[in-house]
Amino acid sequence: MASASDVRSILSLPAVSSPAAGPSQPKKQVAVSNRKPEGISRELYSLIGPSAPTLLAQLAQPRLKQKPNLGGGGKVKWEWRLFKNGARSDSLELGHWVKATDNPDADYKFAKYNAQPTVYEWSQDEYSRHLEDSEWTKEETEYLFKLAQEYDIRWHIINDRYEYPSGPKREIEDLKDRYYSVCRKLIRNRTWAGDEFSKSQLLLSFQYDKEREILRKKYVASLANRTPEQIQEEEALYIEIKRLDQNERQFKRDRENLLRTIAGVDSGLPDIIEDDASLIIADPKKKKLKGIDLDIPQTPVLTAPVMRRPPALNKNAVYDTTHCIIRNDPPSTTPATKVAHTPAYFRSVRIPYPKAGIADKVNALLAEVGVTNSRLVMPTHANCQRLESVTDAATNLIELKRVLDKVNLDIEVLKNRLQLREDGGDSASVADAMEMDDRGDTAEPEGENGRSQSVLSARSTRSRKHTRRSMSISSVDTTVATSTRPSTKRQKRM
Amino acid sequence: MVNYGGDEVSALVIDIGSSSLRAGYAGDDAPKAIIPSSYGYIPPSAHSDNGDVRMNETGASESVAKAKSFFGHSGPSIWRANMEIGNPITDGLITDFGPIPALFRHALEDVMRCSASEHPILVTEPSWNTTANRERMAEIMFEEFQVRLIENLTQLSRFAAGKGSALVIDIGQSTASVVPVVDGFVLRKGLQHSSLPKLVHAHARHLLTAPNPVRRPADLYPYQLISSKQAVEPNAPPRYTLREDRLAGTTQSWREWYEAREVEEWVQSVAGVLDQGWNDQVVQHRQHKQYEFPTGYNAWFGPERFGVGEMYFHHSPQLVAGNPDIPKHIPGLITDSLRACDPELRQVLISNVVLTGGGSLFSGLADRLGSELARSFPHFKIHAPGNPIERRYGGWLGGSILASLGTFHQLWISREEWQEHGKAIVGQRCK
Repeated sequence: MASASDVRSILSLPAVSSPAAGPSQPKKQVAVSNRKPEGISRELYSLIGPSAPTLLAQLAQPRLKQKPNLGGGGKVKWEWRLFKNGARSDSLELGHWVKATDNPDADYKFAKYNAQPTVYEWSQDEYSRHLEDSEWTKEETEYLFKLAQEYDIRWHIINDRYEYPSGPKREIEDLKDRYYSVCRKLIRNRTWAGDEFSKSQLLLSFQYDKEREILRKKYVASLANRTPEQIQEEEALYIEIKRLDQNERQFKRDRENLLRTIAGVDSGLPDIIEDDASLIIADPKKKKLKGIDLDIPQTPVLTAPVMRRPPALNKNAVYDTTHCIIRNDPPSTTPATKVAHTPAYFRSVRIPYPKAGIADKVNALLAEVGVTNSRLVMPTHANCQRLESVTDAATNLIELKRVLDKVNLDIEVLKNRLQLREDGGDSASVADAMEMDDRGDTAEPEGENGRSQSVLSARSTRSRKHTRRSMSISSVDTTVATSTRPSTKRQKRM
Repeated sequence: MVNYGGDEVSALVIDIGSSSLRAGYAGDDAPKAIIPSSYGYIPPSAHSDNGDVRMNETGASESVAKAKSFFGHSGPSIWRANMEIGNPITDGLITDFGPIPALFRHALEDVMRCSASEHPILVTEPSWNTTANRERMAEIMFEEFQVRLIENLTQLSRFAAGKGSALVIDIGQSTASVVPVVDGFVLRKGLQHSSLPKLVHAHARHLLTAPNPVRRPADLYPYQLISSKQAVEPNAPPRYTLREDRLAGTTQSWREWYEAREVEEWVQSVAGVLDQGWNDQVVQHRQHKQYEFPTGYNAWFGPERFGVGEMYFHHSPQLVAGNPDIPKHIPGLITDSLRACDPELRQVLISNVVLTGGGSLFSGLADRLGSELARSFPHFKIHAPGNPIERRYGGWLGGSILASLGTFHQLWISREEWQEHGKAIVGQRCK
């Protein structure tokens, strides 16, 4: 650590005259400087001094949340007061503690919760006209309605407490059915004060289908009565479905990855919808609509990239011409997925070369006219184009020349043949020529087959079955082509 | 206050069971007075030659006319010459109403120090209480006190658990019950109860006192009858001397009551139940527990301590064949109870199982119940308060909550109503 004197000497400040003055000096400074603002710790302030950013000064020290002032000054007077409950029929008075400021004449605030259900009543006349039922007596119906009121139409309780003397044993469905049918009949046959809609709404709320309820209860019971084995089996099936589903996804994903890796294309299969419910509930229609047939995995078409090339950007054509920028169309051989980026290259490497078969002839021709193809001194765009056109022209010339030669030769041969026929004919030479043709024909499929085989062997890792099939197809082709002659090569392959 | 619908009217709640009587203020979280339901009394014939100092004399009841009665913590548990022990409760129901007023008076006036006539009183009852019993109780209460109401015990337990519908499994000292409660009402058809805890108790007693190849039978003398004893090795014969002066004055009922207490204590501290059903291997590996009796005799208890708890859940075929009217075990009670209920309710009930009562604190019982239920029901939930106070006094707590609700106050039976309607009002109001 450097002492104060070291710092002074470094900053070339005058030395302190006496050690006693040392401590007094900063004290004075503190007194002179304005006071430490709120919200900054002492240490921080002594470091940065009065040049504290204004924002910091405004940040107040964190304080506890202010206590809410609920009014009343904290003093509430309570008193023990007797009260009467409006929900009671007698004059019982109970006592409780209330605020002295509360209104003593107010109704008891819990009395309003004493809500009674509306239960229908009927006259003797009404009963005999509408409510007669062979299963129920009037007395039992009345007993049912009394219980319904007593237990607030809680059906399970009513069913539990239902003990009508000398009555038949009633199930909960019987009780409900009777109650609701009586209510419905009463509503229908009484004069209705409100509109039709509210009447039908009310009728709807008293709707009860006994048969359906019994059926439903049977289902509930059967669900509850499953043996542990059945439950286990159900669980196992559910897990199996889950597992199959997961396998399917895995398979799809793997195939997608594989296709991307080896062929560089998307398979064109839409992603699987990540919705469990829709997968578990088999809905073939829905699947067809979405274009997924999970049962038959689609074989992707390798040669047809699904992804469209973006159309050529011509919006900045003007910009390009003014800045002498020439854009080349990306080569069509590259896969669609790699269209996004073409790296920088020398223009000279893009100079087209003539076809390998006629390259020598083209080069010779160009050399003849004094153009060298090997090295362009200045491969500007114009030069390149010119060279390309020259090469093209030369290639065309050579091609035409070749065709011309061939035609000439044919004419020659035919002329000779005509000559010979005129002379008397010789069949042997004709047959010999035909055999030569035949051999030439068979050579081509043979070579093609070999090439496709090499391609296939490169892909053989993907699908052995597929390879075998295509092999057999290609061999069939060969068989057709070479059917005229037995081939030892083919036999070996089989 | 209004938020939870509470409105305290300083009501008292009394919950009486076969082992103890709980009393306290409504709104509290635990009863203020917990006294044994059993009481001691000295019959009049023996009264004259009794020179012992009597404590807590709270007056004689009608049935034991002119007899000295002793209630509370210094009642039956203190040795007195010729003192008999009585209990008003048999099988969860009050069968002897004689000592009831004195018991209540002791709890309210001597323990809680409050005047019963100033407060509304809520008294609990078991779900299988009879109408006559309930009316008799109401009569006693109105003779002594101002206003009161009987509310159902099991309903109160589910109140304590905060549930509207529940399957309440209440295991007390003498009775185990399974009660389905729907929307706050007990389904009487599904009500099941048996004196299973008594069977467990008898089994434990037999285990301790019957001759046995592993262990010598234990003498169940209470502390009060032992003058001196010496420390002995485990399983060694105990060395103690009895208080011969007291033996002569000891009644049979007091002796039985105290022996039952000794067995109870052993069950509470040693006995347990395996959480996954009986398994010989598992039992062998469980820790042995040591227990010392008042005589100084002590022993290690291994597998047999789990056999006691097994009685709650499983009865061996020989046992069932031996006594056909054996109390039903807990899974049997649950099955019978649910079978009587509507199929729709079964799932609701089984997902709201409330375990309560002091007997349910038996070591490992809640876990075992869970594994038993898991065998027959795919989905279930047991609500068993971890707090022993809440478990033991679940019924009282429910009453405490109920009696402090603002909406409850319309249900009190007032003296005026009692005089006007008579006994009928009780059946009408206490559904």
